[in-house]
Amino acid sequence: MDTLLLARLQFATTTSIHFLFVIVTLGLVTLLVGLQTAWVITGKQKYERLTRFWGQLYVINYVLGIATGIVMEFQFGLNWSGLSRYVGNVFGAPLAIETLVAFFLESTFLGMWIFGWHRLRRGVHLALLWGVALTAYASAFWILVANSWLQNPVGYEVRDGVAHLTDFPALLGNPTLTMAFGHVVSAALLVGGMLMAAVSAGHLIRRTPDHALHRTALRIGLVTAALSITLVQGFGFAQFGPVGAVQPTKFGGGDEAQAMIGEWTARFGPGDYTPPALASAGLGFMITIGLTLGALWLLVPLLWRDWIIRLRFPLWLLLLALPLPFVATILGWIAREVGRQPWVAYGLLPVDQAVSPVGAPVMLTSLIGFSLLLGTLAVTNWVLIARHAARGAQDPALGRPPGQSIHLRTEPAFT
Amino acid sequence: MELIWYVLLGLFFGTYLVLGGYDYGVGLSLARNADPGRRRAALNAVGPFFLGNEVWLVAAVGILFGAFPVLEGELLSGFYPAVLGALAGVILVTAGVQLRSRPAHERVRARWDRVVVVGSALAALGWGALLAGLLQGVPRDTDGHVVGLTHLVTPFAATAGLAMVALVAAHGATFLTLRLPADDAARTGRLARRLLPVALAAIGVATVVGLLSERVRATAQQPLAGVLLPVLLVAALVVARAALTRGRAGVAFTATAVALALPVALVGATLWPYVLVSTTDPGASLTVADAAASAPTLRLLGWLAMPLLPALLGFQLMCWWVFRGRTDGRAPVYW
Ligand code: HDD
Ligand code: HEM
Ligand code: HEM
Repeated sequence: MDTLLLARLQFATTTSIHFLFVIVTLGLVTLLVGLQTAWVITGKQKYERLTRFWGQLYVINYVLGIATGIVMEFQFGLNWSGLSRYVGNVFGAPLAIETLVAFFLESTFLGMWIFGWHRLRRGVHLALLWGVALTAYASAFWILVANSWLQNPVGYEVRDGVAHLTDFPALLGNPTLTMAFGHVVSAALLVGGMLMAAVSAGHLIRRTPDHALHRTALRIGLVTAALSITLVQGFGFAQFGPVGAVQPTKFGGGDEAQAMIGEWTARFGPGDYTPPALASAGLGFMITIGLTLGALWLLVPLLWRDWIIRLRFPLWLLLLALPLPFVATILGWIAREVGRQPWVAYGLLPVDQAVSPVGAPVMLTSLIGFSLLLGTLAVTNWVLIARHAARGAQDPALGRPPGQSIHLRTEPAFT
Repeated sequence: MELIWYVLLGLFFGTYLVLGGYDYGVGLSLARNADPGRRRAALNAVGPFFLGNEVWLVAAVGILFGAFPVLEGELLSGFYPAVLGALAGVILVTAGVQLRSRPAHERVRARWDRVVVVGSALAALGWGALLAGLLQGVPRDTDGHVVGLTHLVTPFAATAGLAMVALVAAHGATFLTLRLPADDAARTGRLARRLLPVALAAIGVATVVGLLSERVRATAQQPLAGVLLPVLLVAALVVARAALTRGRAGVAFTATAVALALPVALVGATLWPYVLVSTTDPGASLTVADAAASAPTLRLLGWLAMPLLPALLGFQLMCWWVFRGRTDGRAPVYW
C-alpha cells in the first residue's frame, strides 16, 4: 500500500461521510427557517411543534457535520502538505474566508438557538435561525469556490514553482463553480424535502398520533422535493457545458482530450492522464437516479383530497426512495473528484506531488482509525435520528419548557 | 502584515485553549461525578457556549491555512501523532457532549460520558505535546520537509502534555465554580482548590525536564520569554488558588484563563522570529515571514476578514452576555 493511495482513500471516506450529513443540514435548515418563520408570523402551535420536532432531528444530524468537518480541515495539512506548499497561496484563501465568515458564526448562532428557547425574544430567536441558515449557505459557497479552483485553477501565476494569487474575482467567476453551486444547493433541498416526506410517511403508515401534524410535513416535504428535483436536473445538465470545456479529459475521450494529454505529456512527462472508469460509472448512476426521482411529480397531484395518504402505497414509495438521493450525492462527488485524476489541481499539480511525505504505516493507522471512529459515530448518529424520528413529535427535548430542569435558583455570578 | 496575521493566529488558538479548555476540564470532571444529575448540570453549565468554543479552533486552522500555508503543511504533518491525538479527542468530545442526552437510559449516558472523559484527556494531551514539540524544534531538512515522527517522543513532550491535562482540569473546575448554582459551586470550588496544586506540580516537572533538555535550550531564540513562561504560569495559578480561597470565583477563572492563553503567546515569543526551528540544519528553520502566504493573499484576507472581526467577536460577546450568570431554571436543559 502506498501513502498516496491511502491518503486518497482517507479523503474520499471522510468527505463522503461529511457530505452525507451536511447535505441534510443544508436542506433541513432551509425548511426549518420556513417553519419557524410561519410560527412567529401566524402564532399557530402546529408550526411550533413542527419546528421543535424537525429542529431536534436537525441538531442531532449537525453533530456529525461538525465532527467530520473538523477532520476534513486538518486533513489538508496532515495528508496533503504539498497542496498547501504549492497552491496554498490561492487555495487556502477561500477556505480561510469560509471558516471566518461562515463556520465561526454558524456554530455560535446555533448554540444560542438551541439554548435560547424560552429565554430570548421570539424575533431574536428566529433571527438566530436565519443566521444559521445564511452562514450554512455561505459555507457551502466558499467550500465550492475552493473545490472549483482545484477543478479548474484560475486567477494565479506560478513564480518559483509556487502559485500566487493574481485575480481573486476569477475564482468567483470560475465556470466550474456557478452551476455546481446551484446543483449542490438544490440537491440539498431535495434531500431535506425527501427526508421530511419520508419520515412523515412512516408516521402516517403506522397511524401514530398527530395525524394532522405529519400530514402538513408530508405536503411541505413532497412539494419541496418535487420542485428541487427539477432544479437538480436543470443545474446538472447545465454543468456538462462549462465543465467539459475546461476539463476535456473528464467525460471521456474526444480530440480535445487527446490534445490536452499531448500537451501534458510534453510538460510533465509521459503518464496516465485519463481518469479511472469509476468516474463515468458514478456519473451514469447519478443521472439514472436523478431521472427516476423526476417521478416525484407524479405524487404531487395525489395531495388533492389526501389521496396520497388514503392509497397508502405512495407513502411506502416515499419511504423506500429515501436512500436514493444520498447515493446520488456520493456518486456525483465521485464523478467530480475521481474525474479530475491524476490531478489535485487540474493540469497544475499531480496528486503524487501533493501528498505529505509521511510513511505508509502512519497513514494506514490514520485511515483505519478515522474510518472506524467516524463510521461508528455516523451509524450511531443515524440510529439516534431514526429513533427520534420514530418517537414522534410529543415532547422533543429541544425547546422543552424549563421547569423539569435540575436547578431553579438564580444567583449573580460575579460577587 | 505577516505579524498581524501571526498575532491573529495566536489569538484564535489561544482563545480556543481558554474556551475549549474549560469544555475539556468540565469533561474531565465527569470522571469524578457519580451522580447523573450533577453530570448533566455540569454539561449544561457549558451549554450554550459549547458550539461557539470549538469554532475558535476551526477558525485558527482556517487562518493557518489561508495566511500560513507552508507552516500548515509542515506543522500538522510534522507533528502527526500529537495532532492525530488532539483531533480524535476533539471529535470524541464534540460528539459525546451533544449526543449523550439523546438516549434516555442512564447507563447509556454514563457510557457516553466516559467517551467525553477520554476525549477531553486526549485533546489536552495532544495540544500540550504540540506546544512542547514547537519548543523542542523539529528535524527539518533543507528540502523543507520534517523527517520522521520519533522526534516528538521525548520526556518533555510527555510531561508538557500531562501538565496541559492538569491545567485544563483545574480550569474546568474553576469554570464550574463560577457557573453552577451556589450550592454546587462550593463543591467544585473545593475540587478546583485541590486541582490547582496538582497543575502547579505538573508544570514544575515539565519546566525542569525542559530546562534539562538540550534541544529545548538550543531551540529557544528568546530565552527570556522561555523563562517567563513557567514563572507567569505559576503566578497565575497561585492567584487563582488565593482567589478561590476568598470565594472570588470570577477572579480565579480569569487567572486560570490567563494560564491557558500564556503558553501560546510565550511559545510564539520564545521562537521569534522563527515558527519552526530546525534541530538538524539551522538554515532550514522556518521564519514567520517565510511561512506566510504571499502579499496579495494576505491583502485579500485582510480586506475580507478584518472588517468582519468585530462582528465575529460581537456575536460571541452577545452569547456570553445573554447566558451570563449562574445556571438556573430559566434556560432549557439540552446536553
Ligand atoms: C441528490 C443528488 C443528485 C442528483 C439526483 C443528481 N446529482 Fe449531479 N451531482 C450531485 C448530486 C446529484 C452532487 C453531489 O451534488 C454533485 C457533486 C459535485 C457537484 O457539483 O454536485 C454532482 C455532480 C454532477 C456532475 C459533475 C460535475 C463535475 O464533474 O464537475 C454532473 C455533470 C451532474 N452532477 C449532472 C447531473 C444530472 C444530469 C443529473 C440528473 C438528471 C444529476 N446530476 C442528478
Ligand atoms: C463534500 C463532498 C466531496 C466528496 C464526496 C469528495 C470526494 C472525494 C474523493 C472520492 C476523492 C478521492 C479521489 C481519488 O483520488 O480517487 C477526493 C479527493 C480529494 N478531494 Fe474531494 N470530495 C468532496 C468535496 C471536496 C471539496 C469541497 C474539496 C475542496 C475544498 C475537495 C478536495 C479534495 C482533495 C484535496 C482530494 C485529494 C486529492 C485527490 O485524490 O484527488 N473535495 N474527494
Ligand atoms: C461541498 C462540500 C461541502 C459542503 C456543502 C459543506 C458544508 C458544511 C456545512 C453546511 C457545515 C455545518 C455543519 C453541518 O452542517 O453539519 C459544515 C461543517 C464543516 N465543514 Fe464542511 N462542507 C463541505 C466540504 C468540506 C471540506 C472539503 C472541508 C475541509 C476544509 C470542510 C470543513 C468543515 C468544517 C471544519 C466544519 C465544522 C465547522 C463547525 O465547527 O461548525 N467541509 N460543512
